[in-house]
Amino acid sequence: MKLNVVGKNIIRVDAKSKVTGKALYPQDIYLDNMVYGKTVRSTKPHANIKIDISEAEKVDGVLKIFTYKDVPNKNEHGVVLKDHEVFASKKVVRIGEPIAFIVGETQKVCQEAYRKIKIDYEDLPAVFDPVEAMREEAPKIHGDSNIIYHYKLRHGDIEEGKKQSKYIVENIYKSPMVEHAFLQPEAGLGYLEEDGTVVVVIATQYPHYDREEVAINLGLPEEKVKIINTNVGGAFGAREDISAQIHLALAAMVLKRPVKVIFSREESFIAHSKRHPMIMKYKTGADENGYLQYMEAEIIGDSGAHCSWAINVLRKAGVHATGPYVIPNVKVDTYAVYTNNPFTGAMRGFGATQVPIAHEQQMDALAEKLGMNPIEFRMKNIFRKGSMTATGQILTDSVPLDRCIEAVDEKLKFSQLWKEVK
Amino acid sequence: MKKRGIGVGVSFYGTGYGNGFPDISRAIVRLLPGGRVGIYCGVTEVGQGAKTAMIQIGAETLGLTEKDIDLIHEDTSLMPDSGTAAATRQTYNTGNAIKVACENMRKELFEKAKIELELNSTAGLVLENGEVVLSFFPQKRISFKRLSEIYKDEIIEAGGEFVAQTTTMDPETGQGAPYWPYTFNACAVEVEVDTNTGIVDLLRAVFAQDAGRAVNPHLLEGQMDGGFAMALGYALFEDLKLENGAMKNNKFSKYLIPTAMDMIDVEKIIIEDPENTAPYGAKGIGEPVMIPIAPAILNAIYNAIGIRITELPVTPENLMKAIREAEANKQN
Amino acid sequence: MVDISITVNDKLYKISINENMRLIDVLRDELGLIGTKEGCGEGECGACTVIMDGEIVNSCLVMGFQADGSSIVTIEGLEREGDLHPVQRAYIEAGAVQCGFCIPGMVLSTKALLDKNPNPSDEEIREGISGNLCRCTGYNKMLEATKKAMEYIKGE
Repeated sequence: MKLNVVGKNIIRVDAKSKVTGKALYPQDIYLDNMVYGKTVRSTKPHANIKIDISEAEKVDGVLKIFTYKDVPNKNEHGVVLKDHEVFASKKVVRIGEPIAFIVGETQKVCQEAYRKIKIDYEDLPAVFDPVEAMREEAPKIHGDSNIIYHYKLRHGDIEEGKKQSKYIVENIYKSPMVEHAFLQPEAGLGYLEEDGTVVVVIATQYPHYDREEVAINLGLPEEKVKIINTNVGGAFGAREDISAQIHLALAAMVLKRPVKVIFSREESFIAHSKRHPMIMKYKTGADENGYLQYMEAEIIGDSGAHCSWAINVLRKAGVHATGPYVIPNVKVDTYAVYTNNPFTGAMRGFGATQVPIAHEQQMDALAEKLGMNPIEFRMKNIFRKGSMTATGQILTDSVPLDRCIEAVDEKLKFSQLWKEVK
Repeated sequence: MKKRGIGVGVSFYGTGYGNGFPDISRAIVRLLPGGRVGIYCGVTEVGQGAKTAMIQIGAETLGLTEKDIDLIHEDTSLMPDSGTAAATRQTYNTGNAIKVACENMRKELFEKAKIELELNSTAGLVLENGEVVLSFFPQKRISFKRLSEIYKDEIIEAGGEFVAQTTTMDPETGQGAPYWPYTFNACAVEVEVDTNTGIVDLLRAVFAQDAGRAVNPHLLEGQMDGGFAMALGYALFEDLKLENGAMKNNKFSKYLIPTAMDMIDVEKIIIEDPENTAPYGAKGIGEPVMIPIAPAILNAIYNAIGIRITELPVTPENLMKAIREAEANKQN
Repeated sequence: MVDISITVNDKLYKISINENMRLIDVLRDELGLIGTKEGCGEGECGACTVIMDGEIVNSCLVMGFQADGSSIVTIEGLEREGDLHPVQRAYIEAGAVQCGFCIPGMVLSTKALLDKNPNPSDEEIREGISGNLCRCTGYNKMLEATKKAMEYIKGE
């Protein structure tokens, strides 16, 4: 196929505006008659709350302090389960959960009011370890079980696989909770157009989803809500859940003035999701000729205090748990679990970044037992065109994994170095 | 003592929302005054280069250059929903929607050209540098600009949609076709481990990424470098230090991400094997580019010092702890 | 309030500012120079980098009154009569830009580096931009851009 534009190193169309400093992110937009917002967040991981805004409201320059009572329609949102409250009403389930949104003439006014907000916390038993959270007697975060999701993968016959395996390796791997650390902290503006359309200016990964949530919370039809997506200063999954969109829309609708909010870096850290930490118990077996015969894994992912994408992330982890290898007998169980930790959600790789920490080390451990070069061992077992995955899917097209491995082997001289070390 | 080791990591990654969930991208293409083409599409540019790549796919399909196309993708009241900029789905899903919309637009332009050029049919018409041309009698041609003038009140436009093909998995066995397509990669590194300090230094890195087809090789390399750096932080430094639900490392002075001095040159290899269902064969690579790096580093550490590190991150403290534990185990 | 006079991008400003305003607030909120970005507010990320009397500073760590009498270059000051600075051009051509939020600071750090050392080694380039965090690019294309800019500057 002769291509003229695809395949060419076209210069990024947004590069010039970015190197000249002209590219606008939400924090760069200043509107006439604009006021500022500040989010009040929980400082406790699990507690019943009572909020007293009476002193804060008296601060000169405060326009309004929004709480759950001010949300016109549903006080909830969430990409899969609606388990975030727009503002916590009775209890908080994590540090950083929004409780109120102060709007004042200046940022200084908001700061002053912030100090005068009184939140009475009645601590509840909390749970931070997902394994403990799975127990029946553990404190419950939402509803009557902390187990959000259990994915089961059953392929072939595990007992037969064990019988066929001359070498078996078994390990428990743990991956940490980490932060996206994009460079542009969350910021946004809300304002009203003349016809009453509520506009939210934000940097988001999915403007139409934001529109849907805002419309539901405000009780407006979707065509009365407009999301303007500016330049986005990095995302990596952390701009999929709602941040300030609903607060800004609500404040603009009620106050009929442009409202701006900018998160500090510390606020950004506690406001958005994190990568799911996972505990991954693996058993992998190969026969004497170096062919994989079975794999068994139990994977527990800490979803923190909200579901966000936990179901999809643990599903993806489960599907990718084998790695890109043909294994005839597979049993995988993955669990997504609520705790009172910071909530976890989408982050680059989405569950498929965690499991290779386990399966790739299992591969090397097996190769060592077999006395094989890890590349040679992989080449015996990898997916190729026509291979079947553990979910029974046939890879019918474009499976150039062999070429990827051969390319790095050749360039690093891996196999040659391996022989020399031996 | 400083010890060297080599390690490899490989991975696969399934594109899209998956599990049969309706994963839909949409685009509208419109002829603008002056003969430019507008693509209206809710594709988000998060830095990955989607804006440029989408314009390239549109330009290719319409026989234009990237300079002839405006992508309108900021305002929900002006553009159709194209799903989220996530799940490595924009190049594949939204790229496909834009390609379909542009193919439909091509048909619209042919129909209008047939009328204006007084032809019997659209057979033999092609798009060339902003003109509709009868390929076997090139004197018969009309520019997009001229068409936009003639049809200024009756806008020439076309829509396109792409729905990804996945199936739900069986709830008891997990059997099904949850994602499509899959993308593959491999990374090999050489490290040097200082067993007195626990510091792991990367000496060399080679990284091969399957892209189906690279829409824009420079952008793709940028993703590979960026994914590598993020994975380096994941493997060796990043730690939020959670205590009772609180992050102790909650700002950049405490939560360390790689700087230019921590990164090394990465020898990047793009592997092309066009995917039939993808726009010009191009698969997404945004997430896959971070996946095989940490495993390669971990395997190289084992190769260097003979200790398997099962918990990230491999900070100097954690590595020294692992070394001490291994020594204690040996003595017992 | 305190009166200061500062030269920004060759233009002299005499303004009255609040004592607790940082230089970044003066540039963004008072002068409308929004190309200077705030990424952390504690001098760690370098997104707010500007050149002050020839030296790069984090404008979030400099108080507005401390800038009194100084000469500042921000990202908006690099273009000359519509022509991009060689460092800007090189960043575009090398594909060193992704989300763009770190870029104004990164470009200024690169410029300051090349002003002082027209022939930096790879190691010196890495060190020169190590005060500027970027989460997207892995820095390698920035290295390439810096080398390209070196050539452009030599050719001028």
